[in-house]
Amino acid sequence: MTAWTDSTLFGLVLSLLAYALGVFLNRKTKLPLLNPLLIAVTAIALVVTLLQIPLDNYRKGGQFISALLAPATAALAVSIYNQRRVLKQYFVPVLLGCLAGSLASMGSAYLLCKAFGLGDALVATMLPKSVTTPIAMAVSETLGGIVPVTVAAVILTGILGAMAAPLLIRLFHVTDPIAQGVAIGTCSHAIGTTKAMELGELQGAMSSIAIGVAGLITVLISLFL
Amino acid sequence: MNVLTQLAILLLICFVGEGVALLLPIAFPSSVISMILLFLLLLTGALKLRQIEDAADFLTKNMAFFFIPAGVEILENYKPVADKILPLLAVLVLTTVITFAVTAGTVHLCLAVQRRLGGGARA
Repeated sequence: MTAWTDSTLFGLVLSLLAYALGVFLNRKTKLPLLNPLLIAVTAIALVVTLLQIPLDNYRKGGQFISALLAPATAALAVSIYNQRRVLKQYFVPVLLGCLAGSLASMGSAYLLCKAFGLGDALVATMLPKSVTTPIAMAVSETLGGIVPVTVAAVILTGILGAMAAPLLIRLFHVTDPIAQGVAIGTCSHAIGTTKAMELGELQGAMSSIAIGVAGLITVLISLFL
Repeated sequence: MNVLTQLAILLLICFVGEGVALLLPIAFPSSVISMILLFLLLLTGALKLRQIEDAADFLTKNMAFFFIPAGVEILENYKPVADKILPLLAVLVLTTVITFAVTAGTVHLCLAVQRRLGGGARA
């Protein structure tokens, strides 16, 4: 079962099909729980596990997809640029929102980990989970966390944020698009931002800004830990 | 402009971003440096929006797709924490709700103060 999967195209085709399935199911059911990324990852995990395909075979194609993660993150600058006037006008609320959010994220992660009796390594693993993957990896490593688990926590947080954003907006009566965007970006980085983009360009831009600002703040806070 | 040229410009910016990251004394993610670089290039007019717009649009619209391989890595990394999955999930859900509420509340409060102080053009 491994020879035919030993191709760069295997990982690429499997990812594209799994994502197409995820988008299809999400559109068909309109259920936030059926997040396209979550469906795609689950589908690939099932295929690879059930057919006993080595993960390295998947990685051959997967690495090309991951290579576009950096330019995709950088491209968020375009939506920030398009919203530069709004950003200038609301610079202080955005900055203070990201600061308060980052402190709340790291503080609550610390206290809850301690409350559940999780060790220091797991605390360091969970502290940066709200920020974008590359920043979270760097912070986790510096603090002595388990980096691959941080990556998993970051992605799960992102998916959770994307799924829960519409619900949280209603729950906390967040009517302002600026507050919506900043909150989504601060608690669930780029994956959450995909949902913010769906809510509107203003929300998307604010969420994109929050990825960078909250990431920066988290790095700065971690320098003092 | 040709989409391949647009993609080349974006990748070049990311490449420069990685170089800048290597020069920094602290561990700072290159993708965020690239984002800042691109923003500054657009702001100064050194780069025109139309020179990258289509490629950037494609990348941001399909952003979730590019996270798939990183997500699949969970398969090989859950074992060291397999017995702690439930508390970790609880931490994950609770911190997400708390972070969302605190951030939205803070922005909301600041916006209200800013609007009361007048206009909101300056803060």
